[in-house]
Amino acid sequence: MGAFGALLRKDLRLELRAGETVLTLIGLSILILVAIVFAFNPVGGAQDAATAAGALWVAMIFAGTAGATQALAAERENGCLRALLVSPLDRALLFFAKMTADLVFIAVGQTVAVIILVLFFNLDFDRRLAAMALPLALGIIGFAALTTLLAGIAGRLRAGALLLPLLAVPLFVPALIAGVKASALALAGAPLADRLIWFKILVAFDVLFTSAGYMLFESVVTEG
Amino acid sequence: MARSLSVLGRLLTVLLMLTAIFMVFAWVPNEAEQGLVQRIFYFHVACAWVAFAAFALVAVGGIFFLWLGQTVFDDLAYAAAETGMLFCTLVLITGSIWAKPIWGTWWTWDSRLTTTLILWMLYGGYLLLRALSEPTPQIARFAAVFGIVAAADVPVIIVSVRLWRTIHPAVIVTREGTHGLEDPRMVITLLVSLAAFTALLVWFLTLRMAMLRDADRLQTLMRNIALAEAALED
Repeated sequence: MGAFGALLRKDLRLELRAGETVLTLIGLSILILVAIVFAFNPVGGAQDAATAAGALWVAMIFAGTAGATQALAAERENGCLRALLVSPLDRALLFFAKMTADLVFIAVGQTVAVIILVLFFNLDFDRRLAAMALPLALGIIGFAALTTLLAGIAGRLRAGALLLPLLAVPLFVPALIAGVKASALALAGAPLADRLIWFKILVAFDVLFTSAGYMLFESVVTEG
Repeated sequence: MARSLSVLGRLLTVLLMLTAIFMVFAWVPNEAEQGLVQRIFYFHVACAWVAFAAFALVAVGGIFFLWLGQTVFDDLAYAAAETGMLFCTLVLITGSIWAKPIWGTWWTWDSRLTTTLILWMLYGGYLLLRALSEPTPQIARFAAVFGIVAAADVPVIIVSVRLWRTIHPAVIVTREGTHGLEDPRMVITLLVSLAAFTALLVWFLTLRMAMLRDADRLQTLMRNIALAEAALED
């Protein structure tokens, strides 16, 4: 636990001082939400629940991949990643520390994005919005696991910044479908029973990618 | 021995393919409702089977490569990804050609079409990963990890896409159930076509794997020559 805490603290402290990843996430989220409002011209409120939910998830995948690329660039500077790999750390521990940091960044970015969504789409801070928290949280866990694993790959390639979204978005499709559906149903005030099946898919996705990261991160970060 | 076996295999593939083409164009009867255009089905289904089998091989090759570290498994995965991509593209094209006269549209977000498109994007990503980087053992490991994760994701993709489509009323009802294989000649034609395309997959895979192995040998040879030249100059 000590090593995990130290790794996580390092990433969070770096972010608190520079703020690059979270600022990238928030800036891009706002741009994407504005672009979607221009593209679809929503009236807002419950009628446009599906568009609002979709906008939020689109903002998450594109801002999230950009944020992960940004985080990796910072990691590569000054050979920081290599130093981490030289240390006698369990690679699975490294994965979970990186994933948790990623999760915190995306969660902060998404919280800001939700507030902006409420303003842009004329929603209310009510129970419906609160009901969207669960699918969003489940989506963020899966997305953090996925981008942490893939960033380990893309971060060490010349074309990494281009490759990361190309690799991440198709893999994220099941969680995207389930997340948008569950969020739209929540915003429209549908009963919990209707949303349950989508939660199951989100949980399955989270379990799959967290265990994939746990098992395969070693193969990704090994040098040579 | 290996050489005569491969010549025999190729002869068999050509024979099977010619038979399949003859059966599809000249022997099998027209389907009652869809008519002539239904004949593309024999190639379409065979391409789909080959594409999915190849994508499974990408994951199998990746698992064995990570486990045993032998280049031959990485070559298998790479060759399978390329071949799978080719046949997956053909599935989408032949499907569109069939869908236009039968469904009245080139494309619809039916669950099978959507899943195939996502697979196509996944393995397109795999090939881009390999194309945009130098062939090193590290890239081979990255590709293996991605190939395994992609295959593990496929069941979740299938379930989610199916739910996404069944909860929405489909604009066009699929007629997969009514392909009309009542005539035994249709079943035989499909089986021969499947066999021919499977043989073609094996041919493509062995050909591509041999090329990858030769490329690797050539690279080693050139590196050794460069080293020897450098040693001579000293």
